[in-house]
Amino acid sequence: MTINPAALRAFAAAIGKDWVMFSDNDRIAYSDHFAGDETRHQPGAAIAPATAEEVRAVVRIANQYKVPLWPISRGKNFGYGGAAPVMKGSVILDLSRMKKIEVDAENGTVLVEPGVGFFDLYDYLQERKIPLWLSVPGNSWGSVAGNALDRGVGYTSYGDHAARICGLEVVLPDGDLVRTGMGAMAGSPNWQLYKPGFGPSWDTMFCQSNFGIVTKLGLWLMPEPESVQGLDFEFDKPDDLGWAIDTIMPLRREGIIQQSPSIGNWLRSAAVMTTREQWTKEKGPLDEKVVTAIREKFKIGWWSVQVRFYGPTEITDASMRVLEKAFDKKPLLSKKPASWKRGDAPEGSPVTGVPVSFPLANANWHGGRGGHVGYSPVLPPKGDLAMDQFKRTYALYQTYGMDYHASFAMGERHLTNVNQILYDKDNADMMGRVDRMFRALVADASAHHYGEYRTHIDYMDLVADSYDFNDNALRRLNERVKDALDPNGIIAPGKSGIWPKALRGGRS
Amino acid sequence: MKRVALALIVVLAGCSGKPAAKADGTKIENAFHGALQDRSSKSSDEALFVEKCGMCHRQMGMGTVILARRMKPEVAMLETRRDLTAEMITTSARQGIGNMPRISRAEVSDVQLARIASYLGKGVTR
Repeated sequence: MTINPAALRAFAAAIGKDWVMFSDNDRIAYSDHFAGDETRHQPGAAIAPATAEEVRAVVRIANQYKVPLWPISRGKNFGYGGAAPVMKGSVILDLSRMKKIEVDAENGTVLVEPGVGFFDLYDYLQERKIPLWLSVPGNSWGSVAGNALDRGVGYTSYGDHAARICGLEVVLPDGDLVRTGMGAMAGSPNWQLYKPGFGPSWDTMFCQSNFGIVTKLGLWLMPEPESVQGLDFEFDKPDDLGWAIDTIMPLRREGIIQQSPSIGNWLRSAAVMTTREQWTKEKGPLDEKVVTAIREKFKIGWWSVQVRFYGPTEITDASMRVLEKAFDKKPLLSKKPASWKRGDAPEGSPVTGVPVSFPLANANWHGGRGGHVGYSPVLPPKGDLAMDQFKRTYALYQTYGMDYHASFAMGERHLTNVNQILYDKDNADMMGRVDRMFRALVADASAHHYGEYRTHIDYMDLVADSYDFNDNALRRLNERVKDALDPNGIIAPGKSGIWPKALRGGRS
Repeated sequence: MKRVALALIVVLAGCSGKPAAKADGTKIENAFHGALQDRSSKSSDEALFVEKCGMCHRQMGMGTVILARRMKPEVAMLETRRDLTAEMITTSARQGIGNMPRISRAEVSDVQLARIASYLGKGVTR
């Protein structure tokens, strides 16, 4: 898709020619670098405004010339398409230059622009000795705002990032500028303090959507607790998954456990710290001998889970007793206590809000240039259903010859079964199997009426199709909203399976 | 982003909570000390390196962990290398290399990349 040169000139006049980028090198810089075929979603150009006013100017020009924009915060949404758009030829609206941070230390809130990464915010708090902790995802290279808007998750009790959003500033598809919640009142001191505002609340409308471009996002941060305590549990057998979940979930529902424990298998560690060929030269799924060797090296079970409590020591002590009691006489492989108290040296992991990038090293599991795609259906928080889900998914990994990499994250009322499909992007045969397996997994989940919570740009229509109540009534609603707000269809066509009227024929 | 088993994987560099800048940054020591990076800097160019590259190329970064498989672990962190020319750095950033994605000009401008290359190239021995 060629971008109208007059549109490019108008963008350059609005934000400066240095920030309108359309050379081949520039365009490919925004491809999905985990993709086997990087040209499949290659953008037509990229523009990088520095302020909300510049974003508004860009949006007005995009309407004038009917140029589709794909907004990214920092473009590190690896496993879901990175910076790349659903629709090839879209113009990347790169907000990574927008890096303002405003912290309210007393109230534990921050207002960030989209370009602020987790490391940026961490450095900001550390330099100023502000005793607030981040909740970071496994890839903390990305944007704080972008991650929350895509419903990313972290390890602490603030780990449901979208749930901690409090107030947005949004450029609408016609260039209007709106603030949600209490921000709707000019000069409100409550924008980051009270979520609903007056009348309808709109924050969630801008999560995983294409209804506007978020230019500021309010987020609550955790005050540094007096203590962090917990237990690391190891489980010996695949069948231990069910009772482990049934033991933890009551504590999760009652609010004793406030973070989201994630019980995952042996490959999580091995895939980050080693490569496959260190274990075997054999193709096909890893056999029991390899699994045993991995478990021995890392001293782990078939499944592992870490549970953590945050707060005053009196409370974490008591919570630990409740947790110990819940696991009393259970057939654990092992349990190991973990403890950090204020005044100790930094614990230094995401459990205490330290940003990391090392989990991305699992892209190297197959040795060369690799990547992963995430498959993450949501299911009820019951051990027997989790066991059933595990067995069916494991069987599909075996069928397609892939290495099983999974976890079950325990929410307050649900499980998210996060599976990573690790691949070698230069192995065409494997890439074909990954695609077929992914489609088989979605079909399997759909047959059980489980839907994915988030997906890769290749599969947004596929997953949107699976939300099928009343002949996909939710998609009809989304697209009615889309057409009302964005009649020219310029913001992120195809995001989450939502297409503007003129492009609906292109739905895959 | 997905979760990993943190408690297993962890870390590195002294492990006392205060990471040592000279360590190779990839050593697995124990279960409950962490991936905390040294984010300090002594010059504006070094600060720029930390801001733009440090997350992957200081201790326990994705780049450091993977490079430690390809070369001696003690030179897995770019700042310990003595063979990085400006051209190598610029090409790697703009074209990507191995598992490293391309870095756009919006994220790191040409001027900023030149400063980072100058900082990393200071110790080049030919």
